[in-house]
Amino acid sequence: MNHEEIKAVVQEKFLSSEKVTAFLCDAKVLHPDWVKKERLLAIVEYGDEKAVFCLFTSCYPPKSFTDLSVEIVLPVDNTFKCEIDNKPSDPEAILYLNLQSRNNKFKFEIQMTPRVDNFVDDLFRGIEAVNKLQLQPEFLWLKKYNGKNEDDILAHTMVAPRGGVTHMQNSAPVAIRESLIKRKMSDKENDYTFTKKFTVFCGTWNVNDKSPVIPLKGWLSVDKEPPDIYAIGFQELDLSKETFLFDQTAREDEWYNAVLNYVDRRAKYVKVEKVRLVGMLLIVLIKEKHFSHVRNVICDTVGTGIMGKMGNKGGVSIRLDLHNTSICFVNSHLAAHVEEYERRNQDFRDICNRTRFIQTNQQPKGIKDHDHIYWLGDLNYRITELDPQTVRKLVSENNFLPVLERDQLKQQHKNGYVFSGYTEGPITFKPTYKYDPGTDNWDSSEKNRAPAWCDRIFWKGNNIMQLAYRSHPPLNISDHKPVSAIFVSEIKIIDEEKYRKVYEEVIKQLDKLENELIPQVKVDITDIDFGTVKYLELQVRTITIKNTGKLPVEFEFIKKLDEASFCKEWLIVEPYKKCICADETCEIQLKVLINKTSACKMNAGIDKLYDILVLHLYGGKDIFITVNGTYERSCFGCSIEVLVNLNKPVREIPVGKLIELESKRDQCISNHSTYSIPKEIWFLVDHIYLHGLKEPNLFEQPGLHSEVLQIRDWLDTGSIDPIPGSIHSVAEALLLLLESTADPIIPYNLQSVCLRASANYLQCKQIIMELPEFRKNVFLYLCEFLQEALQHSAENGLDSKTLSTLFGAIFLRDNPNVIQEPQSRINKQVIDKKKAHFVYHFLTNDHSDLIFAR
Amino acid sequence: MISIAMATNRSAQRPNGAPQTKVCQFKLVLLGESAVGKSSLVLRFVKGQFHEYQESTIGAAFLTQTLCLDDTTVKFEIWDTAGQERYHSLAPMYYRGAQAAIVVYDITNQDTFGRAKNWVKELQRQASPSIVIALAGNKSDLAAKRMVEFEEAQAYADENGLLFMETSAKTAMNVNDIFLAIANKLPKSEVSTGGAGTRVLNDADAPRASSCCK
Ligand SMILES: Nc1nc2c(ncn2[C@@H]2O[C@H](COP(=O)(O)OP(=O)(O)OP(=O)(O)O)[C@@H](O)[C@H]2O)c(=O)[nH]1
Ligand SMILES: [Mg+2]
Repeated sequence: MNHEEIKAVVQEKFLSSEKVTAFLCDAKVLHPDWVKKERLLAIVEYGDEKAVFCLFTSCYPPKSFTDLSVEIVLPVDNTFKCEIDNKPSDPEAILYLNLQSRNNKFKFEIQMTPRVDNFVDDLFRGIEAVNKLQLQPEFLWLKKYNGKNEDDILAHTMVAPRGGVTHMQNSAPVAIRESLIKRKMSDKENDYTFTKKFTVFCGTWNVNDKSPVIPLKGWLSVDKEPPDIYAIGFQELDLSKETFLFDQTAREDEWYNAVLNYVDRRAKYVKVEKVRLVGMLLIVLIKEKHFSHVRNVICDTVGTGIMGKMGNKGGVSIRLDLHNTSICFVNSHLAAHVEEYERRNQDFRDICNRTRFIQTNQQPKGIKDHDHIYWLGDLNYRITELDPQTVRKLVSENNFLPVLERDQLKQQHKNGYVFSGYTEGPITFKPTYKYDPGTDNWDSSEKNRAPAWCDRIFWKGNNIMQLAYRSHPPLNISDHKPVSAIFVSEIKIIDEEKYRKVYEEVIKQLDKLENELIPQVKVDITDIDFGTVKYLELQVRTITIKNTGKLPVEFEFIKKLDEASFCKEWLIVEPYKKCICADETCEIQLKVLINKTSACKMNAGIDKLYDILVLHLYGGKDIFITVNGTYERSCFGCSIEVLVNLNKPVREIPVGKLIELESKRDQCISNHSTYSIPKEIWFLVDHIYLHGLKEPNLFEQPGLHSEVLQIRDWLDTGSIDPIPGSIHSVAEALLLLLESTADPIIPYNLQSVCLRASANYLQCKQIIMELPEFRKNVFLYLCEFLQEALQHSAENGLDSKTLSTLFGAIFLRDNPNVIQEPQSRINKQVIDKKKAHFVYHFLTNDHSDLIFAR
Repeated sequence: MISIAMATNRSAQRPNGAPQTKVCQFKLVLLGESAVGKSSLVLRFVKGQFHEYQESTIGAAFLTQTLCLDDTTVKFEIWDTAGQERYHSLAPMYYRGAQAAIVVYDITNQDTFGRAKNWVKELQRQASPSIVIALAGNKSDLAAKRMVEFEEAQAYADENGLLFMETSAKTAMNVNDIFLAIANKLPKSEVSTGGAGTRVLNDADAPRASSCCK
C-alpha cells in the first residue's frame, strides 16, 4: 500500500467533512503505561479547526478503517504546543515530537522521513492560524471522538456508519457493539454465573540439566484427591550449548512423558498446552472431563537473558479460559547471582510487559488481564546479610523465621518492587537450593553457597485458596528440590438460561440507548410554498431546525440519487450544512431566483418550480422538504421565434400553449407569424425613440430594479397605461430582455464565423443577410435605432464604440452550455473586441440596402 | 490414566451451547402506500407502542432493533420511508443496499395491495438481487372491513417467493414474528454486513460493481 492508499483508509475513519491533511504511519507513542508501540498520527481539519489524532492500528498498514481506533485527540488551539527534539548522534535519525494541548502531554518517537516535514509544516500552519484568531474555536466536532464513556462511544459509532448518502453500513459499529456487549456482559457476570471449586496443582523444579531418571510420584501425586488441573514448570532442562543457541532438546519429551507417567493415576488427564523456551518448560494438564470447557488456549515466551533476549532466562506462559474464568500460568527463571535481585525484579517486569497473548479479532491480552494468575519458577532470590553457616544452622533447627526475614524476595515483595498484587503462602519447608545432587546435603563445593528459597509459587486473583505449599526433598537428582502448591480456586460457570436472559437485557438496553442517541430535530415546516414567483424577483423563506436530541447534530442537504446537486439551480439554500448543539436552533434560508437560464426552462416546460430537498442528519433520519411555487410567465426568457408569434401579452397565453410553442420553436420559422419583430422589443425601443433619444447617459446609467420589474409586468400583461418608469429603466429592461432570449439574436453556431469576419464589413453583412428572418429583422431594427440614437450624441453622450461593445456582447452571447476552455484574460479581451467590431460596422455604415433587400 | 488430547481446532470450540456475542447487522427498509401502517409497525416492533394518530412520515425515519436468535444476534437498521406518492422517486435512496424489505399494505384497502405489488416489482428490478422481501397485510384487527383476501395475498407471495404475514400494529399480532422470519431467512455468513469494511459515500463513488448494488 502506498501513502495515498493508507491515507484513504485513514480518511474513512472520519466524516467526509473532516479532512485528513497529513499523517505519519510509524510514530511510536512513548507513554509510561503503554508499551512503545506503533501508532498512526493524523492531522484532521474541520472547517478552520484542526486536531491531531493518535490512532491505534490493529494491523499494519491498516487495511480498512475498522482496523483503526482513536486513542488520543489533541485539538490544535492556543494551548497547543509542538516541540521537536532530535538526537543528532542517532544514525537512524530519530526525532522526538512533543505535543501538548490543554494540559495533556505526549511524546512520540518518529523515524525521520520526508513525510515528517509535511506533517510538521501542516501542524505549524495550524498553530499559526489558530493563534491569529480572536475567538477560540469550540471544537464541537471532536466531542464524538473524545468520549471514554459508553454513550460517547456509541454516539461515535452512530455518527460514523451512516454518514453516506446511500446509507451503506459497515462492520465497524458491529465490532464496537460486539465489544460493548462483551464489556456489559462481563460487568453483569455475577447475574448469570455460579462458581464451582477446582483444585489446581502447581509445581516447579530446576532439574539442573538432568534426565528424569527417578519416579516423580512423590512430587506429583501425594494428595488425597487428584487435582483438576496440573501446571508444572521446569528450569534448566538442558544446559547444552545447542539448546541455548538452537532451542532444540530431546529433554522436553523425556520430562513431558515422565510427567504424564506420574500424575495422579486415579484421574484421566489431557494436555491443555505445553510451551518451552530453551530450558524453561511449562506443561498444563486438565482432567479430561473438564476439557470441553477449555477455550482460547494461547502461549507466549519471553527471553530476558543475554541482550535482554536470549532464552536462558525469562518466562514461558500459558493462558486459557476455563468455563467463564480466565487463567494464566507463568513459569519463569529469573537472573542468577546473590547480588542481582534488582535484575530479577527487572526480569519480572519485562516478562509482565512483554508477554502478549495474541488472539484473532481481539485486543492482545497480557498476563495481568486474567482472573487467576499462578506464577511459579526458579525466581533465584537469595538470602543476604547472613553468612552461609548461620543460615544452615538456623535451618537445621527448623528456625526459618529469621532466615525468611532476610529473603530478598520477601523483602522486595513487601516493598512492592516485585510481584505486587500477588500472594505467596507461608514457607514451612527448607530452602530448596543448593544441594549436592543425589543427596540432601548442602552444597559442598568450594563456592559453599548459602541455602536459599529459589523455587517459589505466587498467585493473584479472587477466590483462590492455598491448601499446601511444600518441597519434595526425596527427589534429589538436581541441586534444587522440587516445590509444589495446591490451590482450591472458584471457577465461574455460566448458567445458560440466566446468561440468555441477561444477554437479551443487555441488547435491549443498548438498542434503547442507541435509539435515544439517534439525532432528533424538529423542522418547523416541510412544505414551502413560494406562491407566485416572478422573473428576477428574489424570494426568501426561512425554515427553523431545532435540535431536540441529546447530542450535537450535523445536518446536510444531500443529493438525491443520480442528481448532480442537492437542489435545483433556481434555489439557494444557506447554510446547506451545519452542526447544531443540543437545544439550539438553526435558521435556514431558502431563496428562489428565476434568472434567464431557469426562465427559459420554465417557459419551455423543461423545469417547474418544484423540488424535494433531502435534509440528512448524520447518524439519523432524513427529512424531506418540498419546495413549491408558481412561476409567473414572462416575455423574458422566451425565444424570439415564439415572441413574434404571440399576438397577445404572455400572461394571456395558456401555459400549455406557450410550452408547445417553445418546444416547437425550431419549426416556426415561418412567414405566417404575427409580427416581424417581437412586439415587446418594439414597445421598448419605440418608447426610447419617442421620449429618450436625448436622455443624457442613455444606456449607461442603470435603471431602478423596481421599475424594471414594473416594466416587465407592463409588457407581460399588455397594459394600456403608458410604460412605467424612467428612460433608464426602460433602456435596462430592453437590454435584459435581449439578454434573456432563449438563443442570442445571432445564433451560437454562427458566433465563431462572425468573429472571424469581424474585420470585414462585407462579410459581416453577408452573415446578417443569411440570418433567419426574425433575427435579421431584430438585428437591423436595433442597429437602425442605435444609429438614430447616435445622431443625438451631443445630448445623450453616446459614442459608437461604447454602444458596439455593449450590444456586441448581447448580439453575440457566449453559449453557457459549452464549457469554455479556460480563457486567458487577453483572449477574452480579443474576443470582446471582435464582437464590438462586428457591431460597429452596422452602427457606422449605412445599411439601408439590407433593409430594402428583404 | 493419561490420554493424550488430539489436536483439535480450538478456535472452533465454544462452551457448550453458550450464546455467542456475534452480531450481524442488516439494513431493512419499509415500503408501501401512505397510511398502511409502516411507521406503526416499526413503533410497535421497536418500542412496543401504538398511536391511534400516527403522523405521516415526511422523510425516512431511522431506528435500530436487535433480535437474539439461537446462534446469532441480528441487528436491524430500519429505514421507515414516506409512503406519499410524491416521495416515490426518493425511495431508491433507501432500498439500495438494503438486505431486507417489508412491503406493507392495508387489508381494508385493495388499492394499497396493488401498490404493494408495484413495490415488489420495483424491488425485484432495482434492489439487490439477494434482498429478502416480506409482504405484510397490516390492520388485520379490522377484519370486518377486509377488502384483500388472505388467500389472494398468500398466493401472490408464494408466486414471488416473499415471506407473508397478516399483521396488526394495533394488537401486535405477527409484528415480532415477521421481523423474526426475516432475521431467520437472512444469510448470516462471516461478512453479513454487505461488503464489510467498505463504506460507500455516495453513489457517484460507488460503481455498481459493489456487491450491494444490483
Ligand atoms: N386499526 C389499525 N390501525 C392502524 C394499524 N396500523 C396503523 N394504523 C393506523 O393507520 C394510520 C396510518 O399509520 P402510519 O403508521 O402512520 O402509516 P404509514 O404507512 O407510516 O404512513 P406514511 O408515513 O404516510 O407512509 C394511523 O392512524 C395508525 O394509527 C393497525 O394495525 N390497525
Ligand atoms: Mg410513516
